[in-house]
Amino acid sequence: MQRLITKQDLVNKLTELLKDFEVVGPKELSNKGIFYQVIEDAKELYLGQDFAIEPIKKFFLEPSSWILRHAKDDVSLESFPQSDKKRIVIGARPCEAKGLALLDKLFDSEYKDDFYINNRKRTIVVGLACAKPDMSCFCTSMQGSPAETSGMDALIFESGDGFIIELVTDKAKHILGSIGEDIKEDQKLNKDKMKALVKKVIKTPESLDKVFESDYWDEVSRPCISCGVCTFLCPTCHCFDLVDEEKKRMRCYDGCSFPDFTLEASGVNPRPTKKERYRQRVFHKFDYFKKNFGENLCVGCGRCIRHCPVKIDIADIVDKAPI
Amino acid sequence: MKNIYLPHIAEIVDVKQETSDIKTFTLRFKDKAVGKAFTYKPGQFVEFSIFGEGESPFCISNSPTRDSIECSVKKMGKVTQVLHEMDIGDEVGIRGPYGNGFPLDELKGKNLLFVAGGIGLAPLRSLINYCFDNRKDYKTITIVNGARTSKDLVYKDEYKTWEKAKDAHLHLTVDCQEDNWTCMVGVVPKILEEIKPTCKDSIAIVCGPPIMIKFTLPVLMRLGFCPESILTTLEMKMKCGLGKCGRCNIGNLYICKDGPVFSYAQLNGMNYDH
Ligand code: SF4
Ligand code: SF4
Repeated sequence: MQRLITKQDLVNKLTELLKDFEVVGPKELSNKGIFYQVIEDAKELYLGQDFAIEPIKKFFLEPSSWILRHAKDDVSLESFPQSDKKRIVIGARPCEAKGLALLDKLFDSEYKDDFYINNRKRTIVVGLACAKPDMSCFCTSMQGSPAETSGMDALIFESGDGFIIELVTDKAKHILGSIGEDIKEDQKLNKDKMKALVKKVIKTPESLDKVFESDYWDEVSRPCISCGVCTFLCPTCHCFDLVDEEKKRMRCYDGCSFPDFTLEASGVNPRPTKKERYRQRVFHKFDYFKKNFGENLCVGCGRCIRHCPVKIDIADIVDKAPI
Repeated sequence: MKNIYLPHIAEIVDVKQETSDIKTFTLRFKDKAVGKAFTYKPGQFVEFSIFGEGESPFCISNSPTRDSIECSVKKMGKVTQVLHEMDIGDEVGIRGPYGNGFPLDELKGKNLLFVAGGIGLAPLRSLINYCFDNRKDYKTITIVNGARTSKDLVYKDEYKTWEKAKDAHLHLTVDCQEDNWTCMVGVVPKILEEIKPTCKDSIAIVCGPPIMIKFTLPVLMRLGFCPESILTTLEMKMKCGLGKCGRCNIGNLYICKDGPVFSYAQLNGMNYDH
């Protein structure tokens, strides 16, 4: 179901929703760039085409969050209370929302992670279609597109002065169905055409098994400085650590590019060099996850390419793997 | 909300010094209902919490047919160092059990060959005692247990029982000859070559340091064991124990959730980092 809405419609609706909902969306921070933040005033929203540096993942799998603590009696343990406040995310990009759909497969399956699930359940995700994918974007090679709605409840497209809103789930229809006006057939978007905006196209092999032992991984990982930026900014990287601070325990991001990620207390490290670590990142995304869950664990958002300090390009690396 | 990372509080009810750096802790859940509901298979492990320090995984080293929970811990990193300072009455957190455990049905009716090195005997001891407690289900039980020196051997009090059991053989070995040592001398793979256990209707269960496993596998193959009939239990750094934190995978399998018990046939087909 598509409807036509003006910018003012959207601002008015969000202002109304702010009474009951926590609203999260992109904000432009001077000298820093675009960041998803909790919005106090609908006018603060940045709905332009520049990408947020961090993906929306951080509102579902937080960079660090308390998960348990000693109860008041100092003996028993209890979960950290979680917010049940209803939340609306606006302006997340299709690739990031698809990232959530992939994280659902991991966290909302065997051994359900209710911290993540609670964040998902209390949130409505309204995406923003991409009118200007950049050189690093390759979502169409990852079964996505600038107008993909997987992981979302609704998607808005820039259209003239306003937006077209596509309502995907009943949740979205219920909350946002009343704004704007019906759309005429000839005003409807040709979503397929938007795919052509994405210029970077790669091939992804069904399996990378055969190249596991290849020297290729030595070669492609050589420039890596193990900074971990690629893993922290990736909408699908989910590896974490559990860390204690006195009587509390937190879960926080960790990443396979760090040397101590797999370093054992005995001193043994099964992934001692960049070769094993970078290979793990590529294989987890383009081989192992696919074997376990049927899809690549990459949405082609391009963040790891855009922000890697030494310009390592995972898309190129997968594309050119000597299969 | 169910918190899959939430441990239960357990009290240390006994501590036994096995070697200079290995202690066996006996635990009891504070909440009786939790204790009752806690069931496990030999080969499974738990996550131990020492609050303020963190968590570490340890296999449960006694059989579910006995009524306590025991874990043997080698002093290594920060959690184990603090644990080694703890005593009867102290409290730790336990969550689990995790992992697949040994394939008990597949072992039924077979000759069992246990091959252990050092603290590698811990997960095997759980299964060994389980098999002795269900003796009629298994044929001959052969145990080859090695350590660097006699001081490094664990579960010494149990050797007599194992030795005396019907249709059971225990071969103890140390790397180099020592005064007053009357058992075998030599590394585990060499001892296997000497005693030549039968591969017929047999399953070998191997656990020990990587170097021991590396040299034991070819010997077992030479003795006629096929990769399907060699089981091992693996270890890697683990945090969540639930296949989510992303550390302990070998290929697409997670040691914590799909293992820690694997057959050599399974491992052969997988991409190893090391
Ligand atoms: S961002 Fe680049 S340099 Fe940093 S860990 Fe990732 S690949 Fe290596
Ligand atoms: S691997 Fe890179 S391109 Fe793929 S989803 Fe992660 S950050 Fe985006």
